[in-house]
Amino acid sequence: MRSPAADRRRPTLWDGLLALLVAAAAVALLFFLRPAESNFLTASVVLEGETIAQYDLSALTGPVAVTVDQADYPLTIQLEPGRVRIAESACPGLDCVHTGWISLAGQQIICLPNRLVISLTGASDPDFDAVTG
Amino acid sequence: MSSPLRRLTRCAVLTALALALSVAEGMVPLTVLFPLPGLRLGLANLVTTYALCRLSGREALLILVSRCLLGALLGGNLMALAFSLTGGLLALAVMAALVRCPFLSLFGVSIAGAAAHNTGQILAAMAVLGSRAPLVYLPPLLLCSLVTGAVTGAASTLLVHRVPSFADIKS
Repeated sequence: MRSPAADRRRPTLWDGLLALLVAAAAVALLFFLRPAESNFLTASVVLEGETIAQYDLSALTGPVAVTVDQADYPLTIQLEPGRVRIAESACPGLDCVHTGWISLAGQQIICLPNRLVISLTGASDPDFDAVTG
Repeated sequence: MSSPLRRLTRCAVLTALALALSVAEGMVPLTVLFPLPGLRLGLANLVTTYALCRLSGREALLILVSRCLLGALLGGNLMALAFSLTGGLLALAVMAALVRCPFLSLFGVSIAGAAAHNTGQILAAMAVLGSRAPLVYLPPLLLCSLVTGAVTGAASTLLVHRVPSFADIKS
């Protein structure tokens, strides 16, 4: 089978254009998903599609550690005023622990083996109801 | 050698090569240098590109599916299989379409393939989690695919030109 692409040895102008297109898609997505500063942060913990807990990070006064034992690979979530991280996890890969602290509305920590997502949402209104679980 | 036997043999050799490349790549993960979930060089994609250029789309598909299934048996799990299959199939579809494009070289084809692979993986992660959270990893992965795609593009250009077509080998 002959293909024109296989016979070339050097990149063409169109390759550059294609690379530019991929870069543009990345930048557009980055802009669309950019996290925002927020004074009132809520951390939601979603395990296998169900919200198991929500924490009002703005109302915290000191560090809190929460262990999620019902996950396939048990993990410990560390909450501090204005930020949250997964401190330790029994999952393979440890991508969630390596994500580190998140502190902006729109940021997430994902633990794929556990199917767990911690997401931060912001609010401009301090009087919203927060469920603490 | 008879023709079906020859076809079977070359598919088997390329599947073994793709499997070895992806295992070797797993031993030296790029994520050590740059911590981004799902980031890899995509060396096994070299075999897909070679098969697309020198064999046929059908054989490239066969090699890809066998590589993913065998890879899952070797060390992965069902979730890893879903990821490599969605990423790999999407990359193959995009590359099969672009390799016929008269304006592109294998650099462009590989970059598009790498970007498609990452997009497929993120789509699979979104399906598994039932949330659009994994989308935040897509922009950095796409930017990295420009680099990894260019590297595998250069390698596959060499591969396609230096390794003779199977049809040319006298047996």
